[in-house]
Amino acid sequence: MEKKSLQEKRILPYTDENGYYEIRLESIGGLGANLAGKMLGELGVLGMELNASAFSSYGSEKRGSPVRAFVRYREGTEEILRNAPVVSPHLLGVFHEAMAKSYPVFTGVFDQTQIVLNTYLKKEEAIEKYGITQGNLYCLDAGLIARECKCRLNMVMLGALVCASGFLSLKKLEELCTESLGKKYPDLLAANLSGIEEGYRTIKEQSGTGCGQSGDFSGRVVDNLPQSPAGCGLDSMAEPYAGGFHETIGGVNPMAGNSIQNDLSPGREGYVPVFHPQKCIQCGLCDSACPDMVFRFEPGIWNGKETLVNQGPVYQYCKGCLRCVSVCPTAALTREEEEKAGGF
Amino acid sequence: MEKQKVLFANGNELAACAARQIRYHVMGYYPITPSTQIAENLDLWRAEGKTDIRLIAAEGEHSAAGVCYGASAAGGRVFGATSANGLLYALEEMPVQSGTRMPMVMNVACRTVSGPLCIKGDHSDIMYLLNTGWLILFAPRTQAVYDMNLMGLKLTEEMNLPVAIGYDGFFTSHQKRRCQVFSEDETVQAYVGRRERKENALNLQNPVTIGSYMGEKDILQNKYELHRAMRQADARLDSLFAEYEKLSGRRYRKVEGYCAEDAEYLLVLLGSSFETAKEAVDELRESGVRAGAVTLQVLRPFPAREFWEICRNAKRMMIGDRQDSYGAQGGNLSLEARAAMQRYGYAGKISARVYGLGGTDFFKEDALKLFEICRESESGDFDYYGVEDISDGAFTERLEEGACADAGHTPLNALHPEETLLHLTSCSYDPEKMVMQVKGGGLKETTAMPKRLSPGHGACPGCGIPVNLNLLMRGIEGNVVFVFHTGCGMVVTTAYPKTSFRVPYVHNLFQNGPATMGGIIAVYEEKQRRGEMPEGDITFVMVSGDGGMDIGLGSALGAACRNQKMILFEYDNGGYMNTGYQLSYSTPYGAKSATSHVGKEQFGKDFFQRDTAQIMAAAGIPYVATVAESNPSDFIKKAAKAAEYSRKFGMAYVKALSACPLNWNDKPEREREVISAAVDCCFFPLYEVEQGITRLNYDPEKIGKKIPVTDWLSKMGRTRHLIKTEYREVVEAMQKEIDRRYARLKARADEPLL
Repeated sequence: MEKKSLQEKRILPYTDENGYYEIRLESIGGLGANLAGKMLGELGVLGMELNASAFSSYGSEKRGSPVRAFVRYREGTEEILRNAPVVSPHLLGVFHEAMAKSYPVFTGVFDQTQIVLNTYLKKEEAIEKYGITQGNLYCLDAGLIARECKCRLNMVMLGALVCASGFLSLKKLEELCTESLGKKYPDLLAANLSGIEEGYRTIKEQSGTGCGQSGDFSGRVVDNLPQSPAGCGLDSMAEPYAGGFHETIGGVNPMAGNSIQNDLSPGREGYVPVFHPQKCIQCGLCDSACPDMVFRFEPGIWNGKETLVNQGPVYQYCKGCLRCVSVCPTAALTREEEEKAGGF
Repeated sequence: MEKQKVLFANGNELAACAARQIRYHVMGYYPITPSTQIAENLDLWRAEGKTDIRLIAAEGEHSAAGVCYGASAAGGRVFGATSANGLLYALEEMPVQSGTRMPMVMNVACRTVSGPLCIKGDHSDIMYLLNTGWLILFAPRTQAVYDMNLMGLKLTEEMNLPVAIGYDGFFTSHQKRRCQVFSEDETVQAYVGRRERKENALNLQNPVTIGSYMGEKDILQNKYELHRAMRQADARLDSLFAEYEKLSGRRYRKVEGYCAEDAEYLLVLLGSSFETAKEAVDELRESGVRAGAVTLQVLRPFPAREFWEICRNAKRMMIGDRQDSYGAQGGNLSLEARAAMQRYGYAGKISARVYGLGGTDFFKEDALKLFEICRESESGDFDYYGVEDISDGAFTERLEEGACADAGHTPLNALHPEETLLHLTSCSYDPEKMVMQVKGGGLKETTAMPKRLSPGHGACPGCGIPVNLNLLMRGIEGNVVFVFHTGCGMVVTTAYPKTSFRVPYVHNLFQNGPATMGGIIAVYEEKQRRGEMPEGDITFVMVSGDGGMDIGLGSALGAACRNQKMILFEYDNGGYMNTGYQLSYSTPYGAKSATSHVGKEQFGKDFFQRDTAQIMAAAGIPYVATVAESNPSDFIKKAAKAAEYSRKFGMAYVKALSACPLNWNDKPEREREVISAAVDCCFFPLYEVEQGITRLNYDPEKIGKKIPVTDWLSKMGRTRHLIKTEYREVVEAMQKEIDRRYARLKARADEPLL
């Protein structure tokens, strides 16, 4: 059933020793990385005569929790036999930069990896900040572009990834987008297409000699190429605190309330509540509305009286839902852009 | 060969696609990960008018299996899908289906069986089916899911034995692959033909009795006939596969080998890891090692002879078990494979390793490692692969080490009993009037109550569950012990090795929470009575979502009838949010969900929300209350009251409407407003039923705040479509039902006898 003609034509620019070209997308739930991965897979199979698989790191996925999407390509005549996550990607898309502080998003990067990083940083700044020493880095502020184009962030990232790959077809992606998303959300099609184009163009500008030319490597690290298994799949990397803990009998957890050690700030999507203590009337509504137990009220003096006094938010736990801002009767809590407010 | 088209699809989508092309009469289902997409896809197509399969969303898998059985007994073509604990919950129906010889096709997207709860893939569910008399096919790759769904129907109807089609949860159920399906539905219809079975429950001309009451010899004979049907199926399979090859070009075998003929070392794996093993085989062959891999595509009837034939020449075999029959020194695959090899006199060495439980990924390197173990002369017969060997002494030591390392600089965050005895609320009971008076409970003062949950949980931004739990806990003084049903509230707070609970907590599966709490309370009472535990109060709080009140309503009513001393707290977000928002019986009428899509043939959910509070009130428990975060003081006072009732009199049931921004499809920061609108439109009236007497705590009508239901519906993405004029009748019906329920409530409030 395979088309004979395909055997001659090789589409993938380079592959690993078994003939795979692999993609990993690093994101948080809610940004559309899962859909982007599926679309890249579809693009391979339906648009480019490749064989492909696409899947995500499934779990009980909540908005804001880490999500990885994986895509594999092989030439059209070759079977995809692997089921496990992508460890060393040829193309890496980082949808949510804040993840990098708690999760090893750049793991497995090697000299052939094209990295697309959604960031407001410049390339040199990002290389410095994240210590990226291998692969070819492209930076774009996909959030800003998405807002300008009034489209979803994943569309901008898709355009960027297609460009950075150096072989995926922008035209085919646009056709696919028109075919699938266009039917489902016809009103948003034009915006999504413009987001894809803008993402593509932004990367294209950075590559100078045409995109996806590998060779722009800033150096090498010694130990950055992980051996996939045995028993060290990506799942264990999803839990940055997993080390040093050994399982108790029956999984009974004796560490009461130890989730207090978690840092949830990577899950935020750009906004935080900012507390203005001088306006606070200590009514407690914010605390009653906050799902994340961010507020601390401690005994103190307010307006000359002994009372419980709001100490403001503990940002480590704040997911930026802004419920507190909505219920505050005196605007003692306001919605601010996280970066402008000082990056908590 | 028939015409086919290429799809980029996953196993679940292909199962749904096959079902649509077959045009089953009925699918009975209850959503469980990772099989949910099957019903979701069919519902979507139903909404779009692309299928007319009747989908019955049962309140649990046991009932879903019952629906399937009834539909099959009625002579319908029947389809099902489940996973893990869903399969186990339905298990007692399985021998009924096979013993009375009712055909059906059930997909099992294989997943590990709880507990502790895990939703990832392994084979611990499907192996429970081995003794039930079901035919079992196993698809090693995505394409096979489609093909086996077609062949499976033919097989089940010819043999009058139900068939299960197993495939790896997530690896096969969720990974999208290039696949082929028949271009024309007619091709499929012609292949499966029409089912004619005269013995059915709807045959009024020739009535039959299905499900006789049998004596000893009759049962023996019945099971012998079942055994013979299995043998017949065994004899039929090869021709079935050959016929299908003519149609599709794809050849299936009971046992499939890869470079197996001349292999010295064979790795036997079930499911998707077989595919990965092929890569390892290629690599070993390149380095001159004669390696091969084998998989089974049929588990029942077990193809012992074919298995032996393909493996007979190997020097050594390694069998990978993705499941364990604990204590038997092997999973069921290796036990049966060993038995088969022994039966035909195999003299080589066989080892088995349990691997990949709970969805642990299987890389090529893992397959290579298994080959390596296979080739080592002194490797043991059986072991686990990929685990740490911790001896007993070292275990405790490591636990302590781990505990210290994990605690880091933060002290343990347990909440001690005295910290929560603050007298922020106090209750006094008037036996004459049979009324509990609550003092205190103001929002500001109760801010002082330390939270029983730690921050750092993984709920979505803006989630209502912690908000409601915290409001409930503000009103409860002193000791609390929790039981949680499965659901978002449990999943986001207890991801091992972390927990958000600062007080004792137990999880149990969600048909069983109130019963579990009943057991805890019984021990508490008995230990106190025997003097084994000091005097003192504990408030027992059993927490369930609305999903847990669907599947677990029986358990809740049982505990209510026994009037056990607990608070049953329901956070109702109107859907199965933890599994991707399928409809629950609490989902509002007309709301869209993953199993109540909106399209030209469907307007969303087509039945009214269940009135759980009235059901619980009818059980005659001393206290029932509804609460909402938009009225926080009322909430806290009722929490205090419920706690006192539960400690002194028996069961208290408290229900909160709980926001889910992700699936309500609205903005997290607007949720309190949305909840408030639900209260003001009387969709969710705030009232209590105390010792049988109904009291309205907040009457929006009286204070001129009542709003039409559309004012609430328009605030959520899941119901916004209802505002369009084409859905006017739906909204009118909903308004009418809300008004009717509210009028009845008011009548009850006006007349104590009601």
